[in-house]
Amino acid sequence: MTVKIAGVSLANPVMSASGCFGYGEEYASFFDLRRLGAVVVKGTTAEPCAGNPPPRMAETTGGMLNAIGLQNPGAVAAREKIIALQHYSVPVIVNVSGHSAAQYRAVIELLDDLAAVAAYEINISCPNVKAGGMAFGTDPAVVVGLVRELRGATKKPLIIKLSPNVTDVTVIARAAVEGGADALSLINTLLGMAIDMERRRPVLANLTGGLSGPAIKPVALRMVWQVSSAVDVPVIGMGGISGARDAVEFLMAGASAVAIGAANFTNPLVCPETVEGISAYLAENGFASVKEIVGLAKKEWLKMGDESGCGKK
Amino acid sequence: MLKLQKLEIIKQESVAPGHQRLTLAKGINALAGQFVHVRVSETYDPFLRRPISVHDCTEGRLVLLYRTVGRGTELLAAKKAGETLDLLGPLGNSFPLTDRPQAVVVAGGIGAAPLYYLLRSLKLAGKQVSFFYGARNEAELILRDEYRALVANYSEATDDGSAGTRALVTHLAAPVIAGLDATVYACGPSPMLKEVARLADCYGRSCFVSLEAQLACGVGACLGCVVPVKGREKYRRVCVDGPVFAAGEVFFC
Ligand SMILES: Cc1cc2nc3c(=O)[nH]c(=O)nc-3n(C[C@H](O)[C@H](O)[C@H](O)COP(=O)(O)OP(=O)(O)OC[C@H]3O[C@@H](n4cnc5c(N)ncnc54)[C@H](O)[C@@H]3O)c2cc1C
Repeated sequence: MTVKIAGVSLANPVMSASGCFGYGEEYASFFDLRRLGAVVVKGTTAEPCAGNPPPRMAETTGGMLNAIGLQNPGAVAAREKIIALQHYSVPVIVNVSGHSAAQYRAVIELLDDLAAVAAYEINISCPNVKAGGMAFGTDPAVVVGLVRELRGATKKPLIIKLSPNVTDVTVIARAAVEGGADALSLINTLLGMAIDMERRRPVLANLTGGLSGPAIKPVALRMVWQVSSAVDVPVIGMGGISGARDAVEFLMAGASAVAIGAANFTNPLVCPETVEGISAYLAENGFASVKEIVGLAKKEWLKMGDESGCGKK
Repeated sequence: MLKLQKLEIIKQESVAPGHQRLTLAKGINALAGQFVHVRVSETYDPFLRRPISVHDCTEGRLVLLYRTVGRGTELLAAKKAGETLDLLGPLGNSFPLTDRPQAVVVAGGIGAAPLYYLLRSLKLAGKQVSFFYGARNEAELILRDEYRALVANYSEATDDGSAGTRALVTHLAAPVIAGLDATVYACGPSPMLKEVARLADCYGRSCFVSLEAQLACGVGACLGCVVPVKGREKYRRVCVDGPVFAAGEVFFC
């Protein structure tokens, strides 16, 4: 079940997605965090951030919208929480957020000495902050510059988290790799909104929010397929995964690992259950490793056109 | 320790039109004010769990009282005795007891649900309790006989005068809050809580309110359910910092 992403060895390909798992402490009472491939902690900014006013969330068909606005205690306070996670000897990936390149850099500088930090996930795709966030993730020139700058700030692996709110995600993916990304993760949430008919007004105080949950899975799968075909660095797939079947689909689409987000809210045991489910799938189908199914659907797809008149063409 | 529990439903009763009382098998020991986060469907549709307060709890047996307002609570109401319920809990904090020997408890509508257990807990602690129960009309004074049987000082208010006094429940409670050196507890609609908090502040009573918000995770991870609070922190989570807050701490919308 082991996989290697950007030089980091993971016991299995399943991670918690940033923002859906706090700093791990809330879920540590449901299961042993060692059962995860990695814990990706909450988006962390250099300074503490209070976040957006409520209401911050709305349930939707097959998912939910959130507009948390990066509420977090800041990198200095986050240090303690990350050190506490060390106790579980599970790789910790810190999600780094900011409103300027200098702010992203400051987070890395405040945390880089921690042995517990295995890698950084650079959030250039948060749809819920006014400046920075998604704005960083939609302009390829800005992406190259930001990643290059952060590349100079740390020796630890950089995973760049991509926004789906662009016309061609592969353009941004290539820019991140050009800047020096070791891996890419996608997708962040899709920009959406909700209206309350009775009260005749938008539900979220922030007006718009990020859509997550099973509803977005087909979009995420498509983008994982596209990006993993366009670049040579590993891709961490996420977006609507709620069990082993979804996870296997992402691996087959080209993801080298997966992250589970909003489904944790419904089923706090979804991560360990997904690990077990993938393992069972591999065993039942005679695969010796996770690696054997990464991108498998692409190989089959290439064959599909050749063998018969049906299928691809 | 948070736990994911699967408990058998012992009883599912309709106690009034649109109102259900559900009794669970032994398994969760909760305090008054806490809630459970219920998975109403085995699929991800609806996507999120539904928070329901602990209406009563004896020796690990939970009772829930809920109003069916939408798909989630309707799915919950459709579950029958003998089926199992997937729930997280007990979650959240609880109503604190103070050194005051008197308590004033104010309920608005289904906000009465968690206050039944509070009333029982206050009585067990030897407090003298005055309970004010408000609703739109007589039919919505859910389980009024059971609440009445619990406390000596029981008063009702309805918007249409079909039971008790035709008034806002806060009008009934106001003179008692003014005159009695009591701790005040309340659960109900926001405008009611705001008024109770104002009265308590005006007469220098300590006051605790139970708040509602849309919850996602229920365990403090997603930060989706915050309410604005006074002070540096700015926002606090209903699910773990609440649902019970000191009235002076929060802004009422
Ligand atoms: C900590 C906590 C404890 C709670 N305890 C109880 C309890 O003991 N008993 C109980 O009946 N409810 C309780 N609630 C409210 C309950 O969780 C909601 O009524 C429920 O989630 C609605 O789900 P639904 O799918 O049926 O309705 P939805 O489809 O989510 O909503 C249907 C309609 O009802 C409205 N609605 C949703 N929630 C509420 C609400 N809380 N009040 C009024 N209208 C609402 C919506 O705006 C919508 O118009 C509690 C909530 C919290 C946060």
